Amino acid sequence: MQSVSAYIISIGITFIFLLASALISTSIKFEGGSHPKDAQKRKTWFWILALLNPVVIFLLGYFAFKPDANIMVVNKYVSALGVGTAIGFFVYLIAGFILSKLFKNGKLGHWF
Amino acid sequence: MDKLFVIAIGGTGMRCLEAFTHLCSIGMFDNQEIEVLTLDTDQNNGNKARVEELITLYNRIKTNGAMSGGTPNANTFFSAKLNLHRFSTNYSGPGRESYKNLSKISTGSPEQQKANKLISDLFLDNDTVQEFDLAHGYRAQTHLGSMLMYHGIIEAARNILKGTNVQIEERELEAFMNKLEQAGATARVFIFGSVFGGTGASSIPVIPKALQDFVKIRSKGASSIDFSKAKFGSTLLTEYFTFAKPDDQQKATKNDRIIADSSFFPINSQAALQFYQNDPTVKKCYKLLYHIGWPIESKKVDEGKSSKTITGGSEQTNPCHITELLCACAAYDFFTRNAGFDNGQADYLYKAVEFKDNSFNFSFDDFVGKENNAGENFVNRLGAFFSLAHISLSLNGAADGDIGIKGFINRCNEQKLDQYSSITDIECKEINEYFKLFAYAFDDAKFIPGWLYQVRGTVAPGRFIFDSKAFLNNKTELKNIDVGAIFQDEKYHWSKGGLFGSRYDSFVKKLINTGPKDEQKVNTTKEKFLAHIYNALTISQNFNLN
Repeated sequence: MQSVSAYIISIGITFIFLLASALISTSIKFEGGSHPKDAQKRKTWFWILALLNPVVIFLLGYFAFKPDANIMVVNKYVSALGVGTAIGFFVYLIAGFILSKLFKNGKLGHWF
Repeated sequence: MDKLFVIAIGGTGMRCLEAFTHLCSIGMFDNQEIEVLTLDTDQNNGNKARVEELITLYNRIKTNGAMSGGTPNANTFFSAKLNLHRFSTNYSGPGRESYKNLSKISTGSPEQQKANKLISDLFLDNDTVQEFDLAHGYRAQTHLGSMLMYHGIIEAARNILKGTNVQIEERELEAFMNKLEQAGATARVFIFGSVFGGTGASSIPVIPKALQDFVKIRSKGASSIDFSKAKFGSTLLTEYFTFAKPDDQQKATKNDRIIADSSFFPINSQAALQFYQNDPTVKKCYKLLYHIGWPIESKKVDEGKSSKTITGGSEQTNPCHITELLCACAAYDFFTRNAGFDNGQADYLYKAVEFKDNSFNFSFDDFVGKENNAGENFVNRLGAFFSLAHISLSLNGAADGDIGIKGFINRCNEQKLDQYSSITDIECKEINEYFKLFAYAFDDAKFIPGWLYQVRGTVAPGRFIFDSKAFLNNKTELKNIDVGAIFQDEKYHWSKGGLFGSRYDSFVKKLINTGPKDEQKVNTTKEKFLAHIYNALTISQNFNLN
């Protein structure tokens, strides 16, 4: 049960990070000029959030959602949280990649 | 659909053609292939060189591979195909420099020589009109000019018929005449020129007849132009500029004893209008004559230049004026109207513009009328092209030698719309060069106004379609110009795009979500690219175009 909640936390936070990344990308305006920097800014923000996502999943999962139970349960939760963190990282990248290809002509297309 | 022909005569005619070419570039002549003839006595005239360079550039922009000048398109920039033909009368060879030499009045038997001299002296002043250098045009001597322009065209027809020593410009005239002859009753010919100056004023009355006789001579009488069917139109453009009066020192030179004096332009115009009102040949040849004038004080065109009166040559590069744009709009009316050609004689057209607080105020409909939303269509296209010029020249830095229009291809590539990546840097540079001639350029820090800025300068402080903020001339201010807010009426401004948006951002979104359409008849990558941008700009400007 604890491992399920670790995975839910991971996926939830990953979803929030993806949403944040999409919102940030959308709010960055298309720039004119001979060397517009908007595409690079979106890409940079996507990767910053990609790196922050596992950190936040783990820290939040460990310090905020860690169950108050015996060591066996906690160990099980922490190891699930580790796996969830890794999954969250890859889900963020895979979902980001899919979204980027789905909206390839828009602002999200700059992620990949 | 009628076949369209444009003839530009003299310095003023060339500047009207310049305005007409810009109307073509903004897309006012959809689906048309237009034959253009530049006609002058002055081979090196600066205005002539400028418009020929402009049309050559226009054609390079439309050219794709071996298809020189491209094909006609619709609802896009550079939609008309322009075929340029150049003809100038030859007054440069030995024995051709002046009327006296050219007409060979001193040849033949003594009786003939005497008769030649008497008749020449009767119409043309012996010391001045018969002797001035013809290389710089007819210098407001229209009685001489009409005869010589007619002679120049007839001489070309005879040379072509003989087939020996045919000059390049005579071949170009022949190519133009071939198209005119082929078009027959479907020909619509519009002639640009002034009625107050020299070459244009001399030529407008005689050109239809000269062209008719050209066809007759070359075909040995087998063919002709039927004036009851072919449609000829022209502008009756009265004086709208002045220049320095020639001083005695300049007039002391034999070649310069006759110089056009702009202080006589009003009286020249008055006399010309009386002539056009009554002359039976003009009335028979022309279907429509557009009376265009500038009823307030004329602007000096040589302010800050040499104190010597410029008689012609490469130095004659007068700035552009709104009356020339109105002449181009008259051509638009002539080419697009369905009625008014059935009269047995010429009809005279005119209209008025609001004049308030000592300046003119032009609204949308003052240029091309409002039938079928023509006024909105015109302003939509002009505005779209002007915004695009600002983006290319200032935002993307082409006025300073930066990438300009190439920025759009880069943007499309960024958005994974890579269908335009085959457009070369040279092709982009040509479009940028066109924008510089249309709007403005910088020579180091010096601002050089292009056609639209010059036109607007003749109306300011009066109202001219766009907000005064659209006509900045400071490099730093231009870098930050709001290209989506150039109109006076806010309803045509580009959307601000909400809390996190901007006008440019919302325009790029439209660029991404649109593309060229089948009905635009665009085939090449460059045509598709221009049509794509045109569509995004049109959507952004919210005009009612239906």
